[in-house]
Amino acid sequence: MTTDHATDPRTACTVERDGRITFALRLPPADPGGRLLLRLRPKKGGTEHLRHLLALDTAVDGHRTAVLPAGTVLAEGRWDVHLVDGPDGGHRRVRPGPRDLRALVDGHTRDRAAPVAVRIPYVTKDGFLAVRAWLRDAHAETRRVRAAEGALTAAARLHGTEFGPGAAVRLRLRGTRTERLVTPRVADDRRDFTFAVALADLVADADPGAGQRFWDVSVRPAEAAPWVRLARLLDDVADRKHIHVQPAALVGDTAVRPYYTVDNDLSVTVTPAG
Amino acid sequence: MKISFLLHNAYGIGGTITTTFNLAQALAERHTVEIVSVLRHRERPNFTLDPRVSLRPLVDLRQEKEHPAHLRPARVFPAAEYRYHQYSELTDERIGACLADLDADVVIGTRPGLNVHLALQAPQRVARVGQEHLTLDNHPPRLRTALRRAYRRLDVLTTVTEADAAAYRRKMRLPGVRVEALPNSVPDPVLPPADGDAKLVIAAGRLVPVKRYDLLIEAFARVAAEHPDWQLRVYGKGEEHDRLRALIERLGLSDNVFLMGPAAPMEAEWVKGSIGAAASNFEPFGMTLVEAMRCGLPVVSTDCPHGPGEIIKDGVDGRLVPVGDAAAFGEALLELVRDDERRRRMGRAALENARRFAPGPVVRQAERLLEEACEARRTGRPVTRDRDPVGRVLTGRGHAARDAVYATGSSALRTIRKARR
Repeated sequence: MTTDHATDPRTACTVERDGRITFALRLPPADPGGRLLLRLRPKKGGTEHLRHLLALDTAVDGHRTAVLPAGTVLAEGRWDVHLVDGPDGGHRRVRPGPRDLRALVDGHTRDRAAPVAVRIPYVTKDGFLAVRAWLRDAHAETRRVRAAEGALTAAARLHGTEFGPGAAVRLRLRGTRTERLVTPRVADDRRDFTFAVALADLVADADPGAGQRFWDVSVRPAEAAPWVRLARLLDDVADRKHIHVQPAALVGDTAVRPYYTVDNDLSVTVTPAG
Repeated sequence: MKISFLLHNAYGIGGTITTTFNLAQALAERHTVEIVSVLRHRERPNFTLDPRVSLRPLVDLRQEKEHPAHLRPARVFPAAEYRYHQYSELTDERIGACLADLDADVVIGTRPGLNVHLALQAPQRVARVGQEHLTLDNHPPRLRTALRRAYRRLDVLTTVTEADAAAYRRKMRLPGVRVEALPNSVPDPVLPPADGDAKLVIAAGRLVPVKRYDLLIEAFARVAAEHPDWQLRVYGKGEEHDRLRALIERLGLSDNVFLMGPAAPMEAEWVKGSIGAAASNFEPFGMTLVEAMRCGLPVVSTDCPHGPGEIIKDGVDGRLVPVGDAAAFGEALLELVRDDERRRRMGRAALENARRFAPGPVVRQAERLLEEACEARRTGRPVTRDRDPVGRVLTGRGHAARDAVYATGSSALRTIRKARR
């Protein structure tokens, strides 16, 4: 699809601390109709299109605004922003104007209740506006992660739940049932925790020539509680994989590096030499 | 007026591109404006251009990279220019043809090699304005010699600082050419200014050695040691990226210092921070300093030639620290990190003081210069009145002779080196 960059609709947006997003579009005054459509990009192979329609208010100083309230639940994923203004409901994707995300920058300093919902407006690779959403029953926000001196160590904080008896941290080898379990050290507030895993345990029992392997990191707050993925979600950075890069540590010839996935979840790569 | 800008590549990211777009857009309110981009390598510019300004590329690298004429060296574009290797017989031809057919009252060059093109090839009726976004003192002697000959044929030459304008007047003999400082302008921000609360230092620019992001990161290590909840974000891309990443890892700053990649425009990023930073060894102007200040950030900068000292008032709206001194830079950052009230006060002063770089005043000055240049073309009288012709001629000749000696010397050295191979 080719579109004229200069005439595509364009919207500014502002995000409040609680996740409420206000969109502000400059549209011809002769065009009183129109709504904003947020549409969830279907997962690979999927066809389901979740949608939210937002009414556009009448113009104030030449702008028309639409509000996505904090209470509206966005399923986890990437939501493309469209303007519906065709006579028969036709819609066009919207270009990004200024994105005022400053209220999100220190988001990790505020405790969240369940479910933990995060939305960050961002610019897609092809230059359109979209909203990255996370929705989790509970969340573990990493603060500091290190692979050094023979151990993977991390500090994180629970949101939307708290620790009870029987807590565990799990690293699971992606695509397998192989697991490593360790007990977290939990702070008095039952939310902050740290843990350490020997790097040797992450390198051991690899088939020779198996190539790169990935461990995904989760925490179980209590004996019967569901596993909670460790991730870094609570600020303004929608895609941190290439921004928040951790150093690798060597175990023999094998490099072990904690990293953030395309979904900002915490994982660890194990890369044999050669 | 009909105004044409001649720009190296409108599709990239950089201070010259930003400031040319800003000026072109502001002039388009009352004039017919186009930007001629010598090169093009992608579909659309990184910065959105006001549709009132037309954009015309001359050589499209996506199709013409292997064009036979593009593989032969340029003859008009001076060999001593920094970007000579990106120019060719093809660019010579296209720029020459573009200038010959130019339907404009005034043409504005935006870098030395393009100023040479318009000095030599613009039609007689078209006024010629050269813009220098770099500085005379940093040009190699061979380039200075080439410019000294060509720039006499300009009507107006603008620099971005008073210091550089003074250097041109003192060291070049340019009779009949008006030399004047025209600062870069930064549009009025659309977002509310930063409130000074965020624990975030921001820097932006190409990741190249002269910007000294290595020094900035070392300086920030002192901040992170005392205040681990503070972050440094560096926006931009470039050849230093991997080295900087390695430095961040070596200093254990992976959770405090982030290489964010390029962002255009930067405004929404500046307002997230509470301190701007620039550690360059050399900064012809310092566009990012003004951008940060216009968003309400006090800026800590090295006091390098030429721009920062003309932009920042030390201790009032920012800090100026000696070049290359990581300890002093870190201490200046810490002063602002430790003292919330001082940081906020300096941020408000920055917002106020940077208004002089708003498009209004800068565009009025540019308009006056362009009108004078056109008038000079029409009447055949030069734009400038030289107050001390004799003295200026003599010093100008002295500098010319010195550059010529350096230029001959360096080409003789090259000949010797070649003979040795």
